[in-house]
Amino acid sequence: MNQAEVIAKLQAIFDTVFLEPVVLTPAISAKDVPEWDSLTHISLMVAVEKDFGVRFRVGEVENAKNIGEFADLILKRKQEP
Amino acid sequence: MDTGPLKTLLLSNDPAFWAQLKSLTKSARDFADLFLLSSLRKKAHARNLAGQNPSAKPLRFAILGGYSLYPLHELIEHLSELDGRPLELWQGDYDNYISEIMDDESELYAFAPEVVFILPAERRCTYTGQLTDPRAAQQAEAQRTVDALLDLARQVNAKTGAEVITTNFMLPARHDLGAFRSRSLGSDWSFRKWVNLELGLNAPSYLHICDWEFLANRLGGLAARDERSWFESKQPCSSALLVELAREAAQLVAALKRAPKKVLVLDLDNTLWGGVVADDGLEGIELGDTSPRGEAFKAFQKYIASLKQRGVLLAVCSKNDLARAQEPFQKHPEMVLKLDDLVAFKANWEPKSENIRAMAPELNLGLDSFVFVDDNPAEIEIVRQFVPEVTTILLGPDPSDYVAQLADCRLFEPRSITAEDAERTRQYRSDAQRQALAATVTDMASYLESLSMESIISEFVPVDVPRLSQLINKSNQFNLTTHRRSEAEVSAVMHDPNFIGFSVRLTDRFGDHGLISIVIGEKVGESMQIDTWLMSCRVLKRGVEEEVLNELVRLAQARGCTQLAGVYRPTPKNEMVRDFYGRMGFTLTAESETQREFALPLATFQPMPTKIKIIRRAYEPS
Repeated sequence: MNQAEVIAKLQAIFDTVFLEPVVLTPAISAKDVPEWDSLTHISLMVAVEKDFGVRFRVGEVENAKNIGEFADLILKRKQEP
Repeated sequence: MDTGPLKTLLLSNDPAFWAQLKSLTKSARDFADLFLLSSLRKKAHARNLAGQNPSAKPLRFAILGGYSLYPLHELIEHLSELDGRPLELWQGDYDNYISEIMDDESELYAFAPEVVFILPAERRCTYTGQLTDPRAAQQAEAQRTVDALLDLARQVNAKTGAEVITTNFMLPARHDLGAFRSRSLGSDWSFRKWVNLELGLNAPSYLHICDWEFLANRLGGLAARDERSWFESKQPCSSALLVELAREAAQLVAALKRAPKKVLVLDLDNTLWGGVVADDGLEGIELGDTSPRGEAFKAFQKYIASLKQRGVLLAVCSKNDLARAQEPFQKHPEMVLKLDDLVAFKANWEPKSENIRAMAPELNLGLDSFVFVDDNPAEIEIVRQFVPEVTTILLGPDPSDYVAQLADCRLFEPRSITAEDAERTRQYRSDAQRQALAATVTDMASYLESLSMESIISEFVPVDVPRLSQLINKSNQFNLTTHRRSEAEVSAVMHDPNFIGFSVRLTDRFGDHGLISIVIGEKVGESMQIDTWLMSCRVLKRGVEEEVLNELVRLAQARGCTQLAGVYRPTPKNEMVRDFYGRMGFTLTAESETQREFALPLATFQPMPTKIKIIRRAYEPS
């Protein structure tokens, strides 16, 4: 899996959670999406961990500045045994 | 969970959105799913989508505690709203609950909540000394923890009159301390167990325990916790348990004002025993300790008998020949349930929907207090379609799961078990005997005379409050105003000098009917306004109505009133008392869609004669 493939899979999750369609790009971040508040964020993270089968470590999700960095984090955690 | 169709409904502003949201919410167990549903609900409100409970008045609900209450409050709001009870929320600050409760000036009190939900901090429920300290010292600290919580609840209740819900504490799920864990009250394991027990056993009637220990245990200790979510956002527990906690809180809020079901209607073949009695014969049915399947059916009967013990009425509805259907009850040695455990027995070839419909007037109960249990999907379906008021339970394929299905149905949970609940089957059965007597006595007056009725009329007293609130919240038919009141609200009436409140108990030679009528009046000037007048339909036309009026007049006159003012507020269920005040000699003074107002001048009132001997009257020394 590469970053683009992760973003494509994220797109499907975002489409479920958000009512208004959002087109994900590596540069997009929460502040660009009106519906992406702290409430939907919790929902998104639970869905991402479940769908990708990963578990983020404490505090690291908030360090990701945009979707590109978030996708990289998912890849990093997926490569763990 | 597929939310695609739901989103389509929302985007096209279709009010069918709400019904689908409700059904998806009912089945959602996953945190992310429930959360998504909640955010769709909020979006629907933002779009002003019509169709959701326009008339329901929001309940003022405050939530505070030692955790971040977001998003828990969101889930509770969602579940409660879709259960027909929208909430107006007030949320405390993170870990500020003690000062929010202690400080009379806090926003909590400005909000004037009707229900307050407290989640006390787990980290304050721990023994601060050594594991090896004397047990007395450890116990004293545990007791102080309990007392502090009870005191917080008492303060909230005293300052607001609100019902209070508090969580207790989850137990640790790690092996820490090993076997020593249960040998010292100083371990979190033992300390919290002790606190939880004492808290529950000593909770006053306005305090309801949201049993977090139980919920975590049910889910599994390891699955209940999520340390990361504590460090990141001060979440109280794992997201999986958060869903269960929210469901329990919503359930407790609903239970404050909604009565449990009253009647359990049972199928026979493959429900109470294995096999078909008409085909297999008395000896051929599977029941009892000789086979595993027979044991499972017997265990199910034992569980049903325990529901009866709690006050649930049992009835049978079976497609069968009556004599064949009754034979196991009379002759099978392994039957737990006997014919006299049942208040109705319908075994015939009519549709079950019609049989159940016929039971309601016989027992003087509304159809919505019935639950029907059957192993046959076709029978469940016919009842669902033709008597939709009845709640149905379709038993699964394995009789060893039957008990679990009923035990998890959440329809028969008592708020507080009163001695009268256990007596109820006897009361309903002696009703049948009384009706038999009525058939043998020719005129009504001599029938009533022969009943040797005695009555005690009492002002509201603290020991009656749970029973009073129970009756106020479940009585539908003979209820002039259907004004519901929680235990705290009943207590408030008891202490307000402008109000009178009394209850009536009735006995006759067949048994004790218990507390069967409640009246609340408010003195406004020289008028006694009848705020609440309700009565159990089991004692209709026995003279209780007349005695209640006599008592009302007496109390009103003693307080300087010159008239009684009564109001009838129609509901789908109280048609029977639409003209009640007229029958009692009141004059109709005003009428609208929503109410009919009546008045009765007291100067010319003559006490009405009855056949009831009044042993004691309200507000008089006994």
